[in-house]
Amino acid sequence: MTTDTTRRTLLKQAALGAGATLLAPILGDLAAHAAGDTKRAARKRVVFVMQSNGINPEHLVPTGMKRRPDGKNQKPDNDKLEETALAGKKLHKALAPLQPYSDRIALVQGLSGRIALSDHSANHGALGACPANKGPMSQTIDSALAEALPGTFPHVALGYGGSTDAMNYSYSASGPGKAVPIVCSPDLAFKGLFGSVAEGAGRTAFDQRSHLLDFMADDVKRSRAALAAEEKVKFDRYLEAFESLRDRQSELLTKADDLKKHAPMLGDKLTTSTSSLILEAQFEIAGAALLAGITNVVTLISGGGGQRFGSFPEFGIPDLHGIGHGGAYGRASSEECFVELRVFHTKLIAGLVKKLADTKEGDGTMLDNTLIVYLSDSGESHHPGLQEWPVVLIGDLGGKLKTCGRYLQFPAYGTKAHRTMANLYCSLLHAAGKPRDKFGVPDPKLKDIDQTGPVAELLA
Amino acid sequence: MLRLAFLSLWLIGGAATAAESPADNHFRDRIAPFLKAHCVKCHGPDKQSGDVRLDDLTADPKFQARWLAVRDQIRDGLMPPAKEPKPDVDASRAVVAWATVATGAHPSKLPNQGNLIPHELLFGKPAETAEPPPARVWRISPDGYMGFVREMSRGRVPGIIQPFTLTPERGLKDFAGLYTVDEPSTEILVRNAEAIVLSQTANEIKDGKLSAKHDTVAEFVKLMDPAKPPTPAQLESAVRSQYRMAVGREPDAEELKRYVALYEKCTKGADSPTAVRTVLQAVLLKTDAVYRSERGSGSGKTILAPDELVRAVSLALGDRRDPTVVQAAQKGELKTREQVAAQVRRLLDDPKAENPRLLRFFREYFEYHKAADVFKDKPSDGIKHLPGQLVKDTDRLVLHILAADKAVFRELLTTPVSFVNYSTKMNKQTRKEEAVPGDVLPKPDPNPKRKPDWLGTVHDVYGFKEWPSEQPVPLPKDTRLGILMQPSWLVAWSTNFENDPVRRGRWIRERLLGGTVPDLPIGVLAQVPDASHRTYRDRLSVTRDAACWKCHNRMDELGLSFEQFDHFGRFRTAEPVRDDETTAKNVDKKGKSLGVVMKDAPLATTGTIADSGDQKLDGPVKDPRELVRKIADSARARQVFVRHAFRYFLGRNETLADAKALQDADRAYQENDGSFKALVVSLLTSDAFLCRTAPTLTLPEKGEPK
Repeated sequence: MTTDTTRRTLLKQAALGAGATLLAPILGDLAAHAAGDTKRAARKRVVFVMQSNGINPEHLVPTGMKRRPDGKNQKPDNDKLEETALAGKKLHKALAPLQPYSDRIALVQGLSGRIALSDHSANHGALGACPANKGPMSQTIDSALAEALPGTFPHVALGYGGSTDAMNYSYSASGPGKAVPIVCSPDLAFKGLFGSVAEGAGRTAFDQRSHLLDFMADDVKRSRAALAAEEKVKFDRYLEAFESLRDRQSELLTKADDLKKHAPMLGDKLTTSTSSLILEAQFEIAGAALLAGITNVVTLISGGGGQRFGSFPEFGIPDLHGIGHGGAYGRASSEECFVELRVFHTKLIAGLVKKLADTKEGDGTMLDNTLIVYLSDSGESHHPGLQEWPVVLIGDLGGKLKTCGRYLQFPAYGTKAHRTMANLYCSLLHAAGKPRDKFGVPDPKLKDIDQTGPVAELLA
Repeated sequence: MLRLAFLSLWLIGGAATAAESPADNHFRDRIAPFLKAHCVKCHGPDKQSGDVRLDDLTADPKFQARWLAVRDQIRDGLMPPAKEPKPDVDASRAVVAWATVATGAHPSKLPNQGNLIPHELLFGKPAETAEPPPARVWRISPDGYMGFVREMSRGRVPGIIQPFTLTPERGLKDFAGLYTVDEPSTEILVRNAEAIVLSQTANEIKDGKLSAKHDTVAEFVKLMDPAKPPTPAQLESAVRSQYRMAVGREPDAEELKRYVALYEKCTKGADSPTAVRTVLQAVLLKTDAVYRSERGSGSGKTILAPDELVRAVSLALGDRRDPTVVQAAQKGELKTREQVAAQVRRLLDDPKAENPRLLRFFREYFEYHKAADVFKDKPSDGIKHLPGQLVKDTDRLVLHILAADKAVFRELLTTPVSFVNYSTKMNKQTRKEEAVPGDVLPKPDPNPKRKPDWLGTVHDVYGFKEWPSEQPVPLPKDTRLGILMQPSWLVAWSTNFENDPVRRGRWIRERLLGGTVPDLPIGVLAQVPDASHRTYRDRLSVTRDAACWKCHNRMDELGLSFEQFDHFGRFRTAEPVRDDETTAKNVDKKGKSLGVVMKDAPLATTGTIADSGDQKLDGPVKDPRELVRKIADSARARQVFVRHAFRYFLGRNETLADAKALQDADRAYQENDGSFKALVVSLLTSDAFLCRTAPTLTLPEKGEPK
């Protein structure tokens, strides 16, 4: 493949290539898709990476800098935005793997999220800017962006949930009471995204599956007809599932070659029970899904909410709750464990960023149209106060965000110009083209300041 | 209608005028004066603290949301604020009760919200028969799904993945109102259905001859020869068989027709065995296979249909349809309350029936099985911490108490015996299970200079130097009683490094006293200071601050007496704390610290039961043993236990309409010397379990097949 090969020509080749026999009935579709590919070149993508146990604000402070201008390494009390350019600065060792991209990063400090306060994880509150322990009470930002940036799979949510459950329901929601399942088994995630074509299932299997899904959608409709409204809802989701599996099945077939090309070879990692390998596999699957163009919004989790922080015995860190309480597991301090884990996660993120940066799209690369949001579900520490919630932003979402190497210390909690995570989420929706000026539940303790609108300083 | 029935049941009578109902009178005489006396000053026309106004509240249902807020605030003692005069307890209860009835249309769905219905409303007066609950469907549990797979295929099915999860919240898990089958689960169900049918039809064709593999369904395998497509009769018969296995009933003619049509469609692009397999998969995915249907048969008040009863009874106690219950239904002998009672009794008395859901109830109620989830550092006293073994010991103790089936609730709380480090092994000569220690220390190293890694194991945790071979064994005197002093329970309700008196207290408040504790308020950072030179009880005194105490007074004093044990669940008589003075001196010549020195601080094991709802219970206790003995004697605590059993076996919170089922179950328990079996039989034969009120049928929605 020459460097001039774009995703668009790839798609065209796919349409005329070896898959043509199998794809005959939908060739028209595919050609149309390729023809309208200028739209595709401009598509935007957002990836959330959420790691348990807090991100120490100091990990965002570049080497040689202090948290406060007076040289003290304490929580700043500024009442105006303070900005430092990252050019020429070395990132904290915890974020070192992201150094090559420091000109495309904004390190955001000082946003609060007190509404989501809990003793550990903020659960749905982290991405929902709402109370932590009331279940999925409103739509979370990842799901809102999935609506704004639809794809074959509107929202790919996967990761390592800190337990053996195949699914996690603690972080993401598409609306009140509608938790979005996060797939925590690489095998399942792979089969769901790439299985239909990458497994090499032929036309027969495809047709049989289609007939089955059609039949089941009809069958569920019949069963639900005799139920009262409240109970009917339980069958509605089952019905929606069959309908959307059926629709997706046809759509995926149009992308068969892309899927085959990008499907990651994961071998034993698909069924591993080792946390770090699960994460490696899930990052690869997520990257492949983005490259194959089957989704625009991804949520990647490490840890499962509540006290399911996860466990990394392979690194000699058997319990993340333990390090939250000072356990050092043979290191000089628990901080060393935190940094080790942070480096592991930022390496995974850097790998994903590299993949996107190496893939041409339009006149640039996929990274140009992507934003990665890295944060913790428990804000700034194991037992968070959430007056500050460190966030790392990578990429500018097609020039919509100002993330060009900036260290941003937003005005402290309680000051007049203070901004919250809800404001950040509004900004993301503005950047994605579906602006909203309110998100989640306002913080009652900030009733005297304006909590609406985007963070103006982040928008391009 | 239901609401009115309860109003009249609860409200105090009085001469009602023609214009005023008893409910109006009650509101005027008891509720409105309370609001006026205690609320309106800050929430009235002149001032609306927190933007809340209450002077305009009436009994009108449009005020439901505000009444809910009033109820919760008063019930939890959050309002009126401490600086204001405290309202009379009975008057407060009357308002809470009234508001509960007035807002009864909004039942709380989460398992931990069951106590929101005041205990007095359920047990205060003899209950009358109420309308059964509405028809519902209940997604089968993760265990139930694995049971379903075993029902479908006698052999092991390779590639099966668990499609379902349960809430990670503490407490009871499997409620009918909590779960649906969403897309990722459906995707797994479809793959699993393929795997199950593949295993049902596994075969080999050699020299044109078809032979079945092990554990297949012969009838299905016969249809796997591509050269011999099934006759219509064969196909229908196969669908019928799959229906009986997966759904538990025969398909009707209309249903059969649709499966035949599916087969026809599938054969257009594939051979006949492939099409047959697709048809068989479709049956496995039916709503009635993945959901427990509880709709009843007919309209109005109706008992569950026989196939529904088979699953209801079987899955109440186990994970799959019980063959004998299935047979009874087929013979038409599962239609009445008495017939269901006979089946439930048979299952409970059958020594071969495993009834795994019985033990699971006690695990979810006490949650001692969470001990393994609490990570701990290596204990400094050299005694092994093996939470898995601690849980096994408590499981066995629960089963032992259930086997005796006498005064079960009291025994659970106060039994002086325990299994300790207990396991069994088959004696090959006698062919009998024999008791053996669950964990054994390795033999000491012959080299006396080498220190052993461990100085003791699990039985030492309970206070035994030697492993007792006769078990259950009486525990050392005046140390432990019952499940709450089992090391497993103490560890499950501890943190990584310390005891957790707050959550232990909350557990007692909710699960034994039937009380409630509000969620952690927004903006509160709940942390006990890290100051290891002070005892935990002393450090926890931060919660005595007025703002914290209004909630913590419902928890801390109930949990503090368990300071009798350390966070590994070991009995102690003193609490080690850091000795600052000696630690400061513990340095080498260069002044470098040689480590922390600990000293014993005096241990307090006292606690208080307050505002329990049972006056006989309220008062100080000197240690945890006195606490559990007192509670074990309380009728209220016993009834709260019954309420939890109700929630578990019926998969939902109780409502006011369930008062009779609860009172009957409590009575059955008492009249049968505290038999848990009697309690379960009563619950599983109650109207609440057996009957449904069928919904009024509505016209099909647009686009819905008729």
